Amino acid sequence: MRVLAFDTATALTAVALQDIDDEANACLREVVDLAAVDEPTPGGRPNHARRLLALVYELLERSGAGWERVDRLAVGVGPGTFTGLRIGIATAQALATSTGLPLVGVSSLRALALGSAAHQRPALAVLDARRGEAYLAGWAPGQDPLDAQPTWPPQVLSPEHLARVAAQAAEQHGHPLAIGDGAVRYRAALESAGVEVPPDHSSRHRISARQHCRIAALAAPAATSVEPEYLRAPDAEPVHG
Amino acid sequence: MILAIETSCDDTCVALITPDGEIRANVISSQHVHDRFGGVVPEIASRQHLSLLPVVVSEALAVAGATLDDVTLVAATRGPGLVAALLVGFSAGKAIAAARELPFAAVDHLHGHLAANFLAPNRFEPPFLALIASGGHTLLADVRDHGPVQHLLGQTLDDAAGEAFDKGARLLGLGYPGGAALEALAAGGDPGAFLFPTAQRMRGLDFSFAGLKTALLYKVRELGEPETQRRRADLAASYQHAIVETLMIRVRRALGATGATRLAIGGGVAANGELRAALHELGVELQIPAAELCTDNGAMIASAARYRPASPFPAYLELDVYSSGERPQ
Ligand SMILES: [Zn+2]
Repeated sequence: MRVLAFDTATALTAVALQDIDDEANACLREVVDLAAVDEPTPGGRPNHARRLLALVYELLERSGAGWERVDRLAVGVGPGTFTGLRIGIATAQALATSTGLPLVGVSSLRALALGSAAHQRPALAVLDARRGEAYLAGWAPGQDPLDAQPTWPPQVLSPEHLARVAAQAAEQHGHPLAIGDGAVRYRAALESAGVEVPPDHSSRHRISARQHCRIAALAAPAATSVEPEYLRAPDAEPVHG
Repeated sequence: MILAIETSCDDTCVALITPDGEIRANVISSQHVHDRFGGVVPEIASRQHLSLLPVVVSEALAVAGATLDDVTLVAATRGPGLVAALLVGFSAGKAIAAARELPFAAVDHLHGHLAANFLAPNRFEPPFLALIASGGHTLLADVRDHGPVQHLLGQTLDDAAGEAFDKGARLLGLGYPGGAALEALAAGGDPGAFLFPTAQRMRGLDFSFAGLKTALLYKVRELGEPETQRRRADLAASYQHAIVETLMIRVRRALGATGATRLAIGGGVAANGELRAALHELGVELQIPAAELCTDNGAMIASAARYRPASPFPAYLELDVYSSGERPQ
């Protein structure tokens, strides 16, 4: 099955097109993986609006295939920056409508955890939620993020709560691994709770849309529209008034 | 057919029109979730747009009796407006166009309001003077052709006219949005009871409503609660009269300055009865589009798309929205 996926939950615009071998437990056969990251200028926003569709078409062109050779679409549903999630999901839904392809929404935290290859240790996917908080989901050893529900479901946490969950994971399941831009940001809190965080520049901290392709190949496509996982209520401040 | 998406504020709008301007569908899904906040909340509006848009697109296609195979051009509002809200419709519009390798038109919202006049069956052809007054904008334009706004004569320096209605309504204890409620209350009041400012001494064709809102606030405080209650209708009538006069002073000046004999109005405030009556007294040829074409809608965006160059696939993949002023072509 050929899956085209993208994720815009973080500052990274990640896209991938993969041939997935079902019987081999969603192994990747052919890999086209593109990602762009532009550090937003202070007060600016990530460049998903400019990058996303251009990367999708670059991917299709590189693979030498049109939409007729794609079987399924997948999109990261977060949690992450609200506007980023909406750019990704609005684009994915419109592509699905326009091409007639089935669409699967994939948790960005699940994709991140799957890419960590933690195997026999707890995997904590942690994203920077800004405002001094973090998004977290975690999988206990033996629970494969590919298809298992997270042991610690997606939640938004203060650094103190994050350290508490991390300490609990360490106590119950031994030496967890934490990845993601939130793990980098809250390295001190996590390490003091007995969690390993790979070096700041490790690629394991970055969401790769390859993982979305694998997860989407095993999932059932959405019957209706795909919903973002905001995890936070909106700020209820009117524009004027 | 032209498919157009408009999500610049709190209405999720999708329309289909023919290339010669006949409306086949003009679906507007108004979000009433903002009412209890007393104004549009950008994050709530954007969340609503995302969940409503796929439904509104299929509904518009169903109303038009069309499929995406009938679409030859896709358009979406690029700005000005709420960035997070714009991005939902604009991202979707680009993607629908791209997946079918169709041309895409990134439309300026204000051009859309002007282009509402170019739709069948009541086409109003340039040249004319246009007054656009809504909760988001208030401006006067000298419209010489069908293209994007070129000759902006004046615009508001602070609040929009619709905002002035909403703020006044709030001070008088009416709900949000307040335009219609304030007008209804004003119907039983005396517009000459209180004298509110119209920024008459401000020269030129720009608008200002901030002084008016402050004047109402002070008057309400001065009268005190029981007296304000007793004279609500007079306050509403006088306040509404001042908004209408603020608009009319500039319209008369602009007609004088340009020598225009034809006038078109748009925006939600065009629904106001006192404004309409005052405009009819001008003695110029007057065009007021149907109510659903005055407020934000997709048909006006589709109409505008006919009068600006569309980008061929894939030239538009990297286009982004804009929130205000700058209007990159
Ligand atoms: Zn408008």
